[in-house]
Amino acid sequence: MDPVLRIREYQRDRVNFVLENVDLAMANSLRRVMMADLPTVAIDLVVVEANTTVLPDEFIVHRLGMVPLVSTNCDAAIRYTRDCNCEGESCEFCSMILTLHVKCNESITMDVTSNHLELQPHPEKGIEEAGEEPVRRTENFGLPVGKNDPDVDPILICKIRKGQELKVKCQVKKGIAKEHAKWSPCSAVAFEYDPHNKLRHTSYWYETDEKAEWPLGENAREEEPSREDELFDFNAKPNKFYFDVETDGSLGAQEVVMKVCDTFASSENVADERST
Amino acid sequence: MPDSERTHRQPTFSTLEREKLFKFPPKQGSSYKILNEFVAPHIESFNALFDDSGLPSGDGNGKGLLSLGLEDIGERVIFDSTGKDTDAWGNRMRLWIDSVSISRPMVPDRNKYVKDRRVFPSETRERLASYRGRMSIKLCWTDPSGQRQEVTKDCGLAPIMVRSVRCNLRSMSSSELVKHNEEAEEFGGYFVINGNERLIRYLILPRRNHVISLLRPSFVNRGPSYTQYGVQIRCVRPDQTSCTNTLHYLANGSAMFRFSWRKQEYVIPIMLILKALVGASDKEIFEGIMMQDYDNTFLTGRVELLLRSYKMFTMRTGEQALEYLGEKFRVVLGMAEDMSNSAVGALLIRKLILVHIENPREKYRMLLFMLRKLYSLVNGTCCADNPDSPQHQEVLLPGQLYGMIIKERLEEILNAIRTFINVDIRNGSNVDFNDSLDLQQASGFTIVAEKLNWQRYISHFRCIHRGAFFAELKTTTVRKLLPEAWGFLCPVHTPDGSPCGLLNHLARTCRIVTAPLTVAHIPALLAKHGMSEPFSSCIDGRTNLCVQLDGHVIGWASPAVARQLATNLRIWKTESKNEIPMDLEIGMVPPSIGGQYPGLFLFSSRSRMMRPVKYLLNGRDDSIGPFEQVYMDISCTPEEIETGVSTHVEHNPTNFLSILANLTPFSDFNQSPRNIYQCQMGKQTMGTPSTALKHRTDNKLYRLQTGQSPVVRPALHNTYAMDAFPNGTNAVVAVISYTGYDMEDAMILNKSAHERGFAYGTVYKSQIIDLKDMKGASKTGAPTLHFGLGPEVKLHSGENENSCLKFLDWDGLPYIGTRLNSGDPIAAYVDDVTRRTKFVKYKGDEMAYVDEVRLIGEETGDAELQKVHITLRITRSPVIGDKFSSRHGQKGVCSQKWPAIDMPFSESGMQPDVIINPHAFPSRMTIGMLVESMAGKAGAMHGLAQDATPFKFSEQDTAVNYFGEQLKAAGYNYYGNEPMYSGITGQEFAADIYLGVVYYQRLRHMVLDKFQVRTTGPVDPITRQPVKGRKRAGGIRFGEMERDALIAHGTSFLLQDRLMNCSDYSTAWVCRTCGSLISLGYEDISLGEVFAAGSRKPTGPGGEYCRTCRAAAEQEDELERKALETGQQPLHPQGSLSVAISSQNVLGRSSKGGDLDVVAVPYVFRYLCAELASMGIAVSLEIQ
Repeated sequence: MDPVLRIREYQRDRVNFVLENVDLAMANSLRRVMMADLPTVAIDLVVVEANTTVLPDEFIVHRLGMVPLVSTNCDAAIRYTRDCNCEGESCEFCSMILTLHVKCNESITMDVTSNHLELQPHPEKGIEEAGEEPVRRTENFGLPVGKNDPDVDPILICKIRKGQELKVKCQVKKGIAKEHAKWSPCSAVAFEYDPHNKLRHTSYWYETDEKAEWPLGENAREEEPSREDELFDFNAKPNKFYFDVETDGSLGAQEVVMKVCDTFASSENVADERST
Repeated sequence: MPDSERTHRQPTFSTLEREKLFKFPPKQGSSYKILNEFVAPHIESFNALFDDSGLPSGDGNGKGLLSLGLEDIGERVIFDSTGKDTDAWGNRMRLWIDSVSISRPMVPDRNKYVKDRRVFPSETRERLASYRGRMSIKLCWTDPSGQRQEVTKDCGLAPIMVRSVRCNLRSMSSSELVKHNEEAEEFGGYFVINGNERLIRYLILPRRNHVISLLRPSFVNRGPSYTQYGVQIRCVRPDQTSCTNTLHYLANGSAMFRFSWRKQEYVIPIMLILKALVGASDKEIFEGIMMQDYDNTFLTGRVELLLRSYKMFTMRTGEQALEYLGEKFRVVLGMAEDMSNSAVGALLIRKLILVHIENPREKYRMLLFMLRKLYSLVNGTCCADNPDSPQHQEVLLPGQLYGMIIKERLEEILNAIRTFINVDIRNGSNVDFNDSLDLQQASGFTIVAEKLNWQRYISHFRCIHRGAFFAELKTTTVRKLLPEAWGFLCPVHTPDGSPCGLLNHLARTCRIVTAPLTVAHIPALLAKHGMSEPFSSCIDGRTNLCVQLDGHVIGWASPAVARQLATNLRIWKTESKNEIPMDLEIGMVPPSIGGQYPGLFLFSSRSRMMRPVKYLLNGRDDSIGPFEQVYMDISCTPEEIETGVSTHVEHNPTNFLSILANLTPFSDFNQSPRNIYQCQMGKQTMGTPSTALKHRTDNKLYRLQTGQSPVVRPALHNTYAMDAFPNGTNAVVAVISYTGYDMEDAMILNKSAHERGFAYGTVYKSQIIDLKDMKGASKTGAPTLHFGLGPEVKLHSGENENSCLKFLDWDGLPYIGTRLNSGDPIAAYVDDVTRRTKFVKYKGDEMAYVDEVRLIGEETGDAELQKVHITLRITRSPVIGDKFSSRHGQKGVCSQKWPAIDMPFSESGMQPDVIINPHAFPSRMTIGMLVESMAGKAGAMHGLAQDATPFKFSEQDTAVNYFGEQLKAAGYNYYGNEPMYSGITGQEFAADIYLGVVYYQRLRHMVLDKFQVRTTGPVDPITRQPVKGRKRAGGIRFGEMERDALIAHGTSFLLQDRLMNCSDYSTAWVCRTCGSLISLGYEDISLGEVFAAGSRKPTGPGGEYCRTCRAAAEQEDELERKALETGQQPLHPQGSLSVAISSQNVLGRSSKGGDLDVVAVPYVFRYLCAELASMGIAVSLEIQ
């Protein structure tokens, strides 16, 4: 049987789907790839030009790194610096420049947020055979998620008072979450199979009554509970997997799932080619 | 804290409220009042030194301790005769100190630039100076004509307690404190000494003015016929200095009175004192001790012996006894020469015998009471009191110690002046006076208040030490936790290890009385209610109990009346009737057979521990002390009250715990040693030390950048401002044995959690650069060193600029935010003499950032900059080997940072931040942690701040049920388990996993400060073995036991490698002839001088030869030559060195010292041979 992916619920940054007719290994790989192998962009290098806030440089830099940046179509829109012709010099094709310059001149406590991050034209135009990357970028690629969107609260970076200033220059790089958690597009991936424990992979600990003490989740509705007289099928394999993917906004939920599927399709091909 | 003050708890984190409080600290009062309450004993005892203390004056005249001390010192008298003529003393001069005053800390008048002359603690701290005020005394004397003269003398600077009556921060509100660069919660109570905050620790002393009976075998060693029995009283003068009097029982039935004066101990027969006090007749004394108990043959016998023993003195009247005492003590006391003997005797009695009582008649009564108690102890009708029990203890308060020291110094000044004048007159010898303070230690009173985190800081102010003397004691009885300590000393909060049980902490609600009380009317009041007056002569000692108030016998009463009086007093004081003060301690000791000596003992003095409870009889708040508590029935909770038995009930069942012990969540579920460990670890946590970090100059500060408010917290968490100084992080914890990296208390950290900032910390270190201490600084006159860059550095600016310009500005100081590595310049200065620029280097091993540069000027404000203080910031993100702990004494080190995708996860996608091993629980029984995990999970799901106050649940209403229901409501398993999946395979685990939220603390012990590893490195210059010590890049000793292990293991190559090749491998020439290692000589063959000398002497390949053997050979040659010349047989020299060598190795004389070999030996062996040679021992090696 062919694998079936059935989407139960879909929002911009969240998707709930059921994957059927695949191996457990396959389903788990899907989960792992979603968590750690999808490239996104994030602030990777910060030059602190002025910091008179109460927070130390490295702490602000860390916070900047954690800001999710829009990474739509990351594969085509930007290169890894290590793959770039600029040889680690970081050019237009493998990096972007964000700046932040906020100074408080009034007697208030001012919030420095991700909205203050501005995209700057890259000074290094790169060398030879100009790539197409910059052209493929969407309008807000590399900008903080939710910037200029009145419905989304910006991310607080620090608070400053009168006379304090923060001026930084950030380099945005492409990367994957295996390297650092900031490049992970997903905040959590829920994963479940066999809600009724028919396969007896697990044993529920209970005091008096297993059924009464273990609440059934939403996914239990999708499957029939085992009947009293049903014999245990020890050959059965998990076949139906329930996913719930939530992203931090850098990639849309749709893109995450599509890209994962693409990745698998391409790697399968690779595997097929190798085997033949 | 009484019931009414306790606020009703809401399950909220009150984040906004706290934020508002932080943003806008209150303009009136302080943000957390309770913090000012718990340091009150420190501050009030310091205030009590001064006349304007603001404390209630009670019975006294409101004078400060310093003034009272001056009264006690009295005057000194000097005569100007040369002492040759015994009759004439010459002119009489009286000398005394009229008053002493200590001012607030001020900028000295020399400074002409300041606008505000007041000095504030933050400035003192930042300047690394001391917070001191000027002390001055008014010295008075009489001139030969008897006219009074006076002069005001400056006595230098005395430390001032922060927020005391002499502090400039006194009574400032939180918002004003913030303006003066302090914490909003600043509560003072400490001194600032050289930039460090130091405080005087509470010290336990014997209870004042109360007679305790002692059974001490060591008393026997005091002299012949001394026994182990004695009674002791520590008498306290109005100025809070004390004098201990002991009454020893002698085997012959009499008693000796002992006291000490200037470190010397003296004993006087008690009869002598009794006579001298009031001139009592023998009958009076007999009746006074017997108290109509004539049937008691034990007593009659002893008293008879006592009276008989006095006959040898042949003194009948009191005056005679006084004169005798005065004559004996005239020299010792060192009083004026013109005083009569009886006056000196009276002075002795006033100054050293029962000093808490003025009136000799009352002293006499008290002495009789002591005698009766002593005989009763010997008789066995009463037992010995336990001096280690809080019942017989009180507290030495910081201000009192301070006052004692100042009093001693003032007395010294006065004596010194007198001695000085006398020396001028007589040219006599110098006298070194040093009065003892009646304390058992002379040092170790103060400690540094480390601001490591808030918990550690506040517990400094509550800690109470038993005394340095007891730390060396071999017996452990003093360390015992006694039931008497309940409610006063925390049973949980004491360090484990050497100070265990000696260093305690006050229970949360324990107060210390600091002000005198109004009690003068109590004797009359009691007499009105049935107490017999003390002077009535016909009181039956068998049926009457002694009534005492602060060590004065105020009357007698039958047990029933005494009990009634005690009850009356308690009702009056709780209902504030008859002006009975709340802090009066009513110790009713009922008559018993062989128990504590009975009586009604009232205490109103200062320094006593008191704590609030509820009096059941009228439902009012009562304040009780450790003496009376022993005879009370206090139930812990209202449910436990037993009608007819319970007299009191606790306001709160957690009141017996210290502040820190109260902060352990669900501590009632844990095994008690784990709570002890948590009290230690809470104080070692990397937390938030201060909110005024910019103004701190501490040597080392640890800061957790990502602190959180715990989800699960006891009710007191907010009360003590814990949220203002967060101490840890809420972590998702899975209890699972997952990778094997969580064995033996190791814990696995989620790598992604770490990358997102879990437990990220920073260390702040100080570096002080004082040009005055540098080489080439002029000690006097204008400075010769100046911060800045010299012309030779400035010249090079441009394309080839000096590398130091990356770090330093033109003023020679580093830029803020500069990154420094070991060896980078941190400051530069120019030497006037050499005109060269010198650099101060950063010496640490780790990378650091310059956080703050402080320019420290002189007090006068006109001197050139010579001193800077640089705060360095070292980032410490968690690494493998760093130590973490939950709040239940469960510590562990991080063993791995595991990739998030490989971590186990739950069905909802939750991944643990921390994995710990299930084996951490069974033996340690920290059920509190399991409950916290459940509560944390439920709290996180429902958005509740969970109440973790101990003793809130019962067998009927269990914690598991309460939190289990909450978990169930959130869709989880009732017991907090969850099915989890392997992150690697995606398969569900066979067992479900306990997953929850636990507040984790990061401890300050980090590998980066501890790791010690080396391959090669510095060696000892003498032995050439690796040096020791982490700081010097040394190695860890591979000792004999380790050597034994390797030998037993058979790994000889490893042994060779460790102890030889990696240690002090060396090669040495050894002479094959004599076997000596140390007789190597060397000829430079290449120069060819040997040939020039004629025949070539035998050497090794490089020109080496053995000096001993060559000399011997040459001598032999010489002898042979001489023999050939004279035709005689050659004489062999005696005592050849070859004795030690077996004959087979002697290859003949042909080598003549040239036969050497290279051997590999440890260098220390060569050194040993040289050392042995210096003692005339030759070491000879056999070479094969």
